[in-house]
Amino acid sequence: MNKCTAIFLLFIFINSYVLADVLPYNYNDTTCIPIKLSVTEELSTKNPIIEGQNVKLRVRENTIYNGQVLLKAGETVNAKIETVITSGMNGFPAEIIIDDFEIPNVKDTQLIGVYRKKGQNRCLWVYPLKWALTLIPFVGSLTNFIKGGHAKIKPNDIITIYYYPNW
Amino acid sequence: MKKILFIVLSSLFLVNPVFADLATNNAIQTRIDSIGTRILNFNKIQKRIVFTYDEHNKSDLKRKYNTLKNRQIIVYGNQYKSAQTDDEIAAMLAREISIVLKSYSGMWGGSIDAIQVALSSKKFETVADKRAVDYMVKAGYNPLALIVYINKTCPQKRQDVIARHNLTSKRLARIYEYITYKYPEYLTDNEYINNQYYQNFLLNSVENRQKLQIKIKTNSTGEIDYE
Repeated sequence: MNKCTAIFLLFIFINSYVLADVLPYNYNDTTCIPIKLSVTEELSTKNPIIEGQNVKLRVRENTIYNGQVLLKAGETVNAKIETVITSGMNGFPAEIIIDDFEIPNVKDTQLIGVYRKKGQNRCLWVYPLKWALTLIPFVGSLTNFIKGGHAKIKPNDIITIYYYPNW
Repeated sequence: MKKILFIVLSSLFLVNPVFADLATNNAIQTRIDSIGTRILNFNKIQKRIVFTYDEHNKSDLKRKYNTLKNRQIIVYGNQYKSAQTDDEIAAMLAREISIVLKSYSGMWGGSIDAIQVALSSKKFETVADKRAVDYMVKAGYNPLALIVYINKTCPQKRQDVIARHNLTSKRLARIYEYITYKYPEYLTDNEYINNQYYQNFLLNSVENRQKLQIKIKTNSTGEIDYE
């Protein structure tokens, strides 16, 4: 009886050790299907956007895997606004990051595709201007008032995410 | 014979501390690699980032240079000694990962964006904090550890109007707000409620948290002017 208990306990110990070592992901397979989406309404950092807010996205074209339609064109899926970066001094552009896409019958672990959209980056000319103006005392600091462009995601912008069916 | 024995024993005595140091550094490096790679894999980050432990203490500027230019996250001794748990190490690494990723995007192989991050550090500091929270949550770490880690390690300056960094109290309040809106489950089922460092943050952030409560009550979407 004692032997049986010992073997049983050993089995549990080994099993738990093996289970702990198995990774919850396996990125070995390279099969990937692009999913093309677009926002249903324009998103802009000009308007109030909250991080974590849900976004409705429209599927732009049929997504087919193994001869079966995974998503039909015109269908709506959800995603979240992950982070909003407001525009800053010296032409620093605003940015919207969309992630957490929810595709029916697809696990989150099978999707890759964080979407980022930036506003106009004015740093490219603001910094040279700033450094040129620093020759005159305090004038260079005036470029601090030049802000970067707002980020806008229009309904005709294509958001491509990738579905890895074997992940 | 006695002489030989004496030499062997004394050499062992001299060599051992070196091996002990190597073993300690190796253990720390393994821990950092493991946590860093876990964050990369769980967040499906398709960019190469290397983690290196350096027992010496170096300045923030040197660290930033390596992060942005070489896409190499160097954890210096003075940073590591304050990170007690895996969650806190994850917090430290997740912040650096978000900065490295910025150097991968944009024109000229990310050089322009890297310069922007270096010059607009105040702006990007907040972004890096928020992204770190996301990375931690996806990798299965508790994002409140970021609050604990920053509360322990970042000093409070007098002002941030003419400064390259935000006031630490502002950073902490913004992280707390971000967690409140995006991951409220970590606050309702709070594992850190009995953590003395977290309690210290709560003690120091009463006014800022009151401002957040007003924002939530009034359904405001504006930015709070934290102190």
